Amino acid sequence: MTLLLLFNITNGLIVGAFYVLMALGLSLILNLSNVINFAHGGFLVIGGYIAYAISPYVGFWGALLLAPPLTAVIGLVVERVLIRPLYGRDPLYSLLLTFGLAFMIEDLTRFIFGPQGKPFAIPAFLAQPLSNELFFITGYRLFMVAMVFVAIALLFVLLRYTRLGIRIRAGTLDLETVAALGINVRLLRSLNFAVGIFLAGLSGVLAAGQLGLEPTMGTGLLMPSFIAIIVGGIGSLPGTLVGGLLIGVASGVTAVFFPAASEAVIYVLMAVILLTRPRGLFGEEGMMG
Amino acid sequence: MNVLEINTVTKRFGNLVAVRDVSLTVAKGELCAIIGPNGAGKTTFFNLISGYFPPTSGKIMFDGQDITRLSTHERVSRGMARTFQITEIFPELTVFENIRIAAEVAGGYRLRPWISRAEASKIHDNVETTLKLVALEAKADRLVGELAHGDQRAAEIAMALALKPHLLLLDEPTAGMGDQETYQITQLVRRLHRNDQYSIVLIEHDMRVVFNLADRICVLDQGRMLAQGTPQQIAANESVQAAYLGNAA
Amino acid sequence: MTAASSRKLIVLAAIWVVLLLAPYWMAPLGGYTALATRVLVLGLAAMSVNFLLGFTGVLSFGHAAWFGLGAYGAGLTLKYLALSTPLAVIAGMLLGGLCGAILGTLLVRRRGVYFAMVTIAFGQVFYYIAFQWSSLTGGDDGLRGFARQPLDFGLFKLDILSDANIFYYFVLVCFALVVGTMGFILRSPFGRTMIAIRENERRARFLGIPVERHIWIAFTLSCFFMGFAGALYALVNNFADPRGLHYSQSGDFVMMAVMGGMRSFWGPLLGAAVFVVLQDYLSSITVNWMSFVGLLFILVVLFFPRGLLGFFQRSKA
Repeated sequence: MTLLLLFNITNGLIVGAFYVLMALGLSLILNLSNVINFAHGGFLVIGGYIAYAISPYVGFWGALLLAPPLTAVIGLVVERVLIRPLYGRDPLYSLLLTFGLAFMIEDLTRFIFGPQGKPFAIPAFLAQPLSNELFFITGYRLFMVAMVFVAIALLFVLLRYTRLGIRIRAGTLDLETVAALGINVRLLRSLNFAVGIFLAGLSGVLAAGQLGLEPTMGTGLLMPSFIAIIVGGIGSLPGTLVGGLLIGVASGVTAVFFPAASEAVIYVLMAVILLTRPRGLFGEEGMMG
Repeated sequence: MNVLEINTVTKRFGNLVAVRDVSLTVAKGELCAIIGPNGAGKTTFFNLISGYFPPTSGKIMFDGQDITRLSTHERVSRGMARTFQITEIFPELTVFENIRIAAEVAGGYRLRPWISRAEASKIHDNVETTLKLVALEAKADRLVGELAHGDQRAAEIAMALALKPHLLLLDEPTAGMGDQETYQITQLVRRLHRNDQYSIVLIEHDMRVVFNLADRICVLDQGRMLAQGTPQQIAANESVQAAYLGNAA
Repeated sequence: MTAASSRKLIVLAAIWVVLLLAPYWMAPLGGYTALATRVLVLGLAAMSVNFLLGFTGVLSFGHAAWFGLGAYGAGLTLKYLALSTPLAVIAGMLLGGLCGAILGTLLVRRRGVYFAMVTIAFGQVFYYIAFQWSSLTGGDDGLRGFARQPLDFGLFKLDILSDANIFYYFVLVCFALVVGTMGFILRSPFGRTMIAIRENERRARFLGIPVERHIWIAFTLSCFFMGFAGALYALVNNFADPRGLHYSQSGDFVMMAVMGGMRSFWGPLLGAAVFVVLQDYLSSITVNWMSFVGLLFILVVLFFPRGLLGFFQRSKA
């Protein structure tokens, strides 16, 4: 029983880590550009399939290193061509556009790579379980969680200590003032979008190593990521972090006692939190949001 | 009889004290102008009066009743109407439609899924009267968003008037206007005050307008009430000149 | 009568003539009556979404939930409670509307994208319930084993089950009822407060309109309309599908409204017609129809944001 619980908590943490990675990217884009990026799951798929396509030439480590920035470049192009014309218009439009984009990415992936799942090879030493007792903790799982936390740490360092990050945070709080200070808001939004998509691409590579590749792999992560953001409090990145881990562990623990409800529990959690704290765990009381 | 009695209100945002211990009394039929340099807390003070947010401390009485904790729409339904520094209108509706919405809300019809002919014609009369008051009869069927700035402002004031308020709060009614439009709005406010006996509080930057219209002037500086008095008293007040008029001139 | 209002009357009459004669002109054009019925029902749903989106300015991206609840409400009623079509429609409408009313209280303080986001998440709650509660709802396979029942008026019966044309006219009458109600509300003082909120929320508030309460009422009304449309949809298919509650279905509804023209009353119906016919056609010629639908979304947003009717009309209170 203890082992089972431990197994599921570990699982929950891993899943939660993915939620966090996805949700942080979504959150960044939402906060600065007021865009709900429905295609975020699509970018995860792009990241995974890029890694799959280049790994025969550059190996796993090369793919891990190259796929996320390549995904970010695609994100940059998408932002520049499709999303930038919509800033300043009703958020409805960017929502519909990314919604359509998500359709297209999923379908084109299926068209190019086929509807069947693809395996994605990871280095043999990472595929080993750490011990016989703790069979469920493979090296890759630990590695994945470590990577996610490194990425999160780097993101927070970026936001706190670099000029780009400080500008992103300032823009989130008050875009008009940032623009008035002569900062190029368009460029800021592009780079911020790219950072968000980088995280989606990274999730894609990591997820591919654990679960293999499927054209629909991103869609399933999208909704929990939304809920992570809502639970944590829209507008708060630390909130998103906590929210993602919380719902991941909650669904992991629920899987022990009541497997059928492991997915439903995140919705229940959301409802309970919104009833007690209408703005989420870290949300600020204010006029907006 | 006082329309408005504000007793030592303070508003803090975190560490910042935007309004500190300000008191103000407005008598029925009085026109009181609030002036002060940028960042003096004038608009915050207006937001406190109109219920945009509650004060941190202090008390606001309206028509002899405590309204400190009431929401915006409750204050409006008790007879307080306001305009904004940046004109707030319904741009895609006509002048007539803009004012009709105000008239219907004021008539207590806002939740009604239907309206009788008699009620509709009563509303119609209210709108027509209000249109005449602000001299917009000829433009009733134009989209407000397409009107000149001065006419938009007049339409906004008309919406406030259609509420039949006991107190009119005007936040910089001549902001961003040329001489001609400033004159037009000044004349309108003067008519409302002199002929129709409205009680008015207004924030204004243009000193010609202020000294032309006001019965009484209140000077805010750094969130405090620096001085109050008739235009003559304020013009002669040295601390006001030092803090404000000196810099502005 | 002014020229504008007489033109309006002519357009209105034309719309109703087209709808009344649909079974007769559809067939020669290669369509079939059931397609017209589906357009009518999905059009009603898109108009319900637009009641909130186009006339109150509030974007719900989870409205499929109320639509799907309406469908399950009708289906479950027919399957387990009573073999009565009117009862099924009423039950569906109540289920969708009441659930919407309750959740609406949690939503009304939010605006813009945040409102959209929370409605998506709440909508998915109902999707999961329909998906997971297999013993009641049939789970992934959907709810089957019920059928719309002939209408019994005592003196005569209307066989809406097997006669496609009679069913179409039954749906058209239902459609007319709901659309008439919508139009009536939009022309009322309450409807004008909705438009006021859309145009300028702050001004509306400072005219003495309790904005949150009015948004809640508009939201709830729209959920009832949506539930009604969903119930009709269950009758159309004799089937209720969990995917009818999914957020991607909400996306389709919003798209129909935008494509047709969300500032016009009838736009969403036109949008639904184009969308349904196009989707029908695309899925019959290519397996990659999803890409084309996605592309359609992108093209409409970038080049056609005011929709088909947006160029001709301006919404008037």
